[in-house]
Amino acid sequence: MEFFNLKVFRYDPTKDSQPYYKTYRLPVEKGMTVLAALFKAKEEQDPSISFRYNCRAAICGSCAMRINGHATLACKVQVTHLLDKYQTDTIVVEPVGNIKPLKDLIYDMDWVVDKLKRIKPWFIPKEAPPADGKEYRQDPFDHQKIDYASDCILCNSCMSDCNALKANKDFLGPMVISKAYRFVADSRDGAKKERLEEVLKEFNLEWCVRCMECTTRCPKEVQPYENIIRTRIIAAEEGFKSPGEIHAEIFEKDIYNRGLLNEMLLPMRQEGLLGAAKRAPFGIRMFFKGKVNIADFFGGHKVKRHEEVQKIMDKARQMKDKVKIKIIPDVQTVYEDKRKSKKLKEQKA
Amino acid sequence: MLRYAFYTGCSAKGVAPELYESTKLVAEKLGMELIELEAATCCGAGAVQEKDEFMSLVINARNLALAEELGLDMLTICNTCTLMLREAKFKLDKNPEVREAVNEVLKETGLEYKGTIEVTHFLWEVIDAVGLDKLKSMVVRPLKEFNIAPFYGCHIIRPPYLIGYEDPDNPKSIEMLIEALGGNPVDHEARLACCGFHSFWSAEDKVTLRLTAMDTQAAKKQRADFMVTPCPLCHTQLDAMQPEAEEKIGVNIGMPVLHLPQLIGLAIGLKPKELGLHKHVISTKSIIEKVA
Repeated sequence: MEFFNLKVFRYDPTKDSQPYYKTYRLPVEKGMTVLAALFKAKEEQDPSISFRYNCRAAICGSCAMRINGHATLACKVQVTHLLDKYQTDTIVVEPVGNIKPLKDLIYDMDWVVDKLKRIKPWFIPKEAPPADGKEYRQDPFDHQKIDYASDCILCNSCMSDCNALKANKDFLGPMVISKAYRFVADSRDGAKKERLEEVLKEFNLEWCVRCMECTTRCPKEVQPYENIIRTRIIAAEEGFKSPGEIHAEIFEKDIYNRGLLNEMLLPMRQEGLLGAAKRAPFGIRMFFKGKVNIADFFGGHKVKRHEEVQKIMDKARQMKDKVKIKIIPDVQTVYEDKRKSKKLKEQKA
Repeated sequence: MLRYAFYTGCSAKGVAPELYESTKLVAEKLGMELIELEAATCCGAGAVQEKDEFMSLVINARNLALAEELGLDMLTICNTCTLMLREAKFKLDKNPEVREAVNEVLKETGLEYKGTIEVTHFLWEVIDAVGLDKLKSMVVRPLKEFNIAPFYGCHIIRPPYLIGYEDPDNPKSIEMLIEALGGNPVDHEARLACCGFHSFWSAEDKVTLRLTAMDTQAAKKQRADFMVTPCPLCHTQLDAMQPEAEEKIGVNIGMPVLHLPQLIGLAIGLKPKELGLHKHVISTKSIIEKVA
């Protein structure tokens, strides 16, 4: 392919009532990034295209945008890779999602900064600096808890594609909660409770839908989704009771008592009798569709070898505090191509 | 004969019995022998994982060890089970100290996690192990008059470091399968979206039902006859909760949603009733009438 189409989201609120797309035909050049393509279009065809950029080395996060529907850094992805990946001759470039566009690919960063301010994204030491005048020190195990979270460059790729934010703009979002985790989990931080209270306000920690989109989009392997879950674990350890905590207790009890979750009794246990009454139309509907196992109302069946489950769960509780689970970097496997690995396995056999 | 240790998960034994039945029927027709892990427990579904990471690893190491006892790869029919089991495997395989601690617990029952099997999903095995050519040859009732909207569900594509089967930005497996069955895959903006299931108890009004409405409406906008998903949790959300989602936005959607094995079953000549199409909340009458 000698040429490709760069289809760019255009919007100037001083002139346009609605956003529109404008397409630029550009030569395919080996190694050309989408950011380089935008520069080429701007310099040679249309100087009015507006976009943010800075380092051009995937460090500053300024050039985050949606490319063919997914948020990423424009300076990190190459045109030839995208054309091959999507089997297309067109690359669609839009501003990051979920945040108001200001002009073309530039979006409203203030909206995010206001959310960030709520969790106080700076170090608040719990004690005075060491008397020897050196920096605050930390055990290596404690440090690795925040190591990857500290790599966040505030690019908003995760906020852009967050499914929960898509439905509810009041949600703090993965970048903000992940940033809160970076301090909440810091053994030297003195504002843990304060930060937790902020992310727990109005169910913010609970609105995450566990879709893993944020972790998938993150260009720096920060693991925002995992950091949200880690924050939930810390909140539970600190004694905060949330619907998620109640939900987790129900799961754990059911696995202990029968091996499987009892979905029939879940609403009543989660929300009490009134909550269960609210679910009555759903329950009746499910009953008439043959999706209700009456035995489940009386506890239901147990999995085989169930006594083993109780034995290991008891033992796991005893050992829990002795086991140090390190965070493993996600290494950003693009995809391993299982089909290919299967063939290799067969060849070896 | 392809043999698997069959991990059913909670939903197929609870709110989605038609998935369990249709999977068994279809698998048998496709030459897949499913040996059910009757001693396996719930995977924790992300809930136990957020309360007690070590406990969730112990529970799933036991599940994986049960498949290892059989010497067979573990086949799942739920996206979240797939992810939770693969996540546990990843952590156990990459962290020898934790694996040792987990095995110390499992020793109480004579089990050991060795890391010798893979966790796979029904969708992947139909494509890779059965093969699309064989599947095509088995089609007796091509689904050519249907526009079918794929709905992947998050945990079968994300995150790539745990799932890694295909490109999470542009997966093709369900489309490939629909085409092999003679149907027309519909491209719609929610095909890779989230159904909202996992925040149901805390964000039902503000997130979950809104996502369910958006997803089903996106399929409807592209004139899909029905949606298909490889995940029973997505199915419960998109099908059984669709009336609540409709109420939430005040619009009638009425989008039927099929489980993946039901889709295959219809094309290879199984009857809608034996596949449990009558068990869906959103009527599948229009589909049943066409395939009759």
